[in-house]
Amino acid sequence: MTGTPTPASEATTTTDADSETTVSKPPTDRSGSIYRSKRIIVRELRTVSRTRTFFVLSAALAAVLAGIAWVGGGVRAGFVPTVVDLLTPLELLVPIVAVAFGYRAILGDRRRGELDVLETYPVTPREHVVGVYVGRAVGLLAAVVVPLALVGGAVFVAREEPLGRYASHAGADSPFLFARFVVLTVLFALAILAVALAISALVSGTRSALALAVVALVVLLVGLDLALVYGLAAGFLGDSSLVYSLAVSPLSAYRGLVFESAVITASGTGPQTASPVASVLGLVVWTGVSLAVATWAVKQ
Amino acid sequence: MTTDTPLLEASNVDFAYGDVSILRDVSVSIRAGEVTALIGPNGTGKTTLLRALAGLQVPTAGSITYHGPETAREIGYLPQHPEFRPGFTVLETLRFYASLVGRGDDDAMARLESVGLADAATRQVEALSGGMTRLVGIAQATIGDPPLVVLDEPASGLDPGMSKHVFAVASELAATGTAVLLSSHDLELVERTAGEVVMLDRGTVVERGSPTSIRNRLGVDSLQAVYEASIAGDLSSVRVQGETA
Repeated sequence: MTGTPTPASEATTTTDADSETTVSKPPTDRSGSIYRSKRIIVRELRTVSRTRTFFVLSAALAAVLAGIAWVGGGVRAGFVPTVVDLLTPLELLVPIVAVAFGYRAILGDRRRGELDVLETYPVTPREHVVGVYVGRAVGLLAAVVVPLALVGGAVFVAREEPLGRYASHAGADSPFLFARFVVLTVLFALAILAVALAISALVSGTRSALALAVVALVVLLVGLDLALVYGLAAGFLGDSSLVYSLAVSPLSAYRGLVFESAVITASGTGPQTASPVASVLGLVVWTGVSLAVATWAVKQ
Repeated sequence: MTTDTPLLEASNVDFAYGDVSILRDVSVSIRAGEVTALIGPNGTGKTTLLRALAGLQVPTAGSITYHGPETAREIGYLPQHPEFRPGFTVLETLRFYASLVGRGDDDAMARLESVGLADAATRQVEALSGGMTRLVGIAQATIGDPPLVVLDEPASGLDPGMSKHVFAVASELAATGTAVLLSSHDLELVERTAGEVVMLDRGTVVERGSPTSIRNRLGVDSLQAVYEASIAGDLSSVRVQGETA
């Protein structure tokens, strides 16, 4: 967004193409900013709730997760076996669903000319991006958390081992470990949604958005892991730094976090698979940088 | 701002896409309470100038200065091809925009009434005709009572009755003190409605003034004749900036 012409009272000048050109400053009041972001969040929530595709996606995800948990026997075996059953499918499905929720979110407004119209309102690019992100995130989290909660509930009811021990005990199965798994899945989904939103803000057409979304999925699901494997094989990465390097890939960070905080905690033994701090930081950086890119792109 | 001070002033504005020059040394003053019409052949830079004046594009050179009052929304804008997010009713759409400037449902409904679309309030935006969509766009452009409303071809593709209605809405807005800047190819309606006409050709201003003063200056009896006398070259060819300049 470029902003409205400069008010005469606060005119500032900047140099553009070796010539003097006036530009303006967006409003920065904090309460107004929160209020406007809320309006955009509500609009996104309504869009999500009225889009049939999102319902179909959510239902399909729920069916697949329930099916895997049931057929794999995790539901009867306990929470941690269910986590192990669901981890690999979620590594693939969460990015696909997250990208579906976000890859056209800002692009749609741009194509309809509504980004231009919004620019004439006191809405900054940051408020717009935050509003769109939070609104879509609520929809995405409903699509991811509800099926996982249902699976967790099914495990609680159908598990064959009695429940009575806690996650702090090595070798224990616990709903708390499953809850950790859900929280980590949420973090992973939020990071990928932010990437999808950045794509949505960068592209100008639906085809290029789709193409870039596919490229992003390949890079995030395969490319970065392959790069890490190559780095290890070629000696660029040492054995000791590998657990930290995994944080570079959102997928590896998520997988490592699940192993470290749910699977290995339950089994009580095993090598260190990731640095939890570095992995969380990795996911947060992916989220933050992607949203910054989206904000920058909306400003243009 | 004194009564003589224009609401918006563009001085020596240039605009170029890379090596392609679109606007050259354009100076325009927009006054409150008046309809200013921008006319000229297709491809001559009207939309680029409107977007620059609305603050949507930063000119390559020159300055655009707003002298109007500080308000939540200083400039309202109707794009050339207005569209709205599908899945929402007309009223919900305007309610969303109104909420961004702290206005409520009543204001959104009042805007719809002002363009004669109150009966379509509960209709989905994707189910509107082109003319109705444009009217919703005009209603949107007036939300927050911006001192300047920029309408890019508000009557484009509309039947004569609807075009007349759109220009009447522009006149009513100007009568309330709002500065209205619009572009149009309907020279008859422009002549009837505009207090000031700016004629653009090949990215430069070739005529400006009230329709009467321009007609008198050129000794012709209509804006159509002014247009034909002022536009250089073949009127049946589209101006492709950078190709023929």
